[in-house]
Amino acid sequence: MRSTRNVVKTEEGAGLVHYSDPPLLVLASLANGPKHGHAMIEDIMRLCGTRLGPGTLYGAIARLEQQGWIKPLPPEERRRPYRITAEGVRVLRARLATLRQFTKAGLERLEAL
Amino acid sequence: MNPRLAHLLVRLYPRPWRERYGVEFKALLQTVRGGLRPSANVVWSALCERIVPTPGLKIEQRQFQSWCVRWPWAMFGLAPLFLLAGAWVVALLILWSGWRLFLPGADTPFVPIYDMREFFYFNLGRSLYFGAPILVGWGIGLIAIRNRCKAFWPTVGLVLIALMGGTAQVQASRTTVPRGLGHISMDFTLGHSVQDTSHGLLHAVVILSLTVLPWVIWRLQRALSLST
Repeated sequence: MRSTRNVVKTEEGAGLVHYSDPPLLVLASLANGPKHGHAMIEDIMRLCGTRLGPGTLYGAIARLEQQGWIKPLPPEERRRPYRITAEGVRVLRARLATLRQFTKAGLERLEAL
Repeated sequence: MNPRLAHLLVRLYPRPWRERYGVEFKALLQTVRGGLRPSANVVWSALCERIVPTPGLKIEQRQFQSWCVRWPWAMFGLAPLFLLAGAWVVALLILWSGWRLFLPGADTPFVPIYDMREFFYFNLGRSLYFGAPILVGWGIGLIAIRNRCKAFWPTVGLVLIALMGGTAQVQASRTTVPRGLGHISMDFTLGHSVQDTSHGLLHAVVILSLTVLPWVIWRLQRALSLST
């Protein structure tokens, strides 16, 4: 997958740990409806406080599209919105389930400390 | 972002990528605030795209990729050797012509040079001579990474290039050709003594290290990004 290091963090979130898996963030952003690039950046920012760089975002979009997990919609002027596909929803659900399992197990271990 | 800067940044991406995403990406860049950080992000992403293109967007490379798969020994073994030989021929021609033009009385072109024009001319030849193995090695690595080739033949190619670079020695003399034009040639030996051999091998190891360095950095960067 594309590099996840080029994620621009927000000033108000500095010091906090941000989740930075661009493909997953893009899928999660498109889960509540089609969006174009700028709207995705803003939505991901609201979702988890991570500001994706434009190159990182389009790196993720290109690979997700080639994998068939998102689809482009007709362009609106020069901006092109994308929507998540059924396969993309399945992948997102599976990944979030794994993350939930991982989070639950991690928190349980922390509570035991 | 400034439209002109956005245009330049989009130009950094490979053509198939630009044809598919260029318009919308430029539109996005023009809405992005700030200059340096997003620009650095785009430059890095464009570099990554050039090294490891998005699968399905490598339209222009299919022919080349099939050559790498069908004849890896030729693409990574023979072709780099011919390329290196060609670069050295050019380097020697530069040195020889510089010797004739600027140092007609000298017995060798390897003398201290103080004139700026002569200095530039000779260093062009020397840089090509010393830099050619490293540049060819980087080319092998880049092609292997872009086409996701197995490591065997690229490694063979890199070792051959490093050995050629480590054992090559330029011989220049005017005495062997009396009243002639002077004579520059190349010799490939590991030396006549243990010291010469070890020096040649050390040189080969240095060339090999320099050629694989970008690949090591790329692998480290990739490993770090996956662990983030």
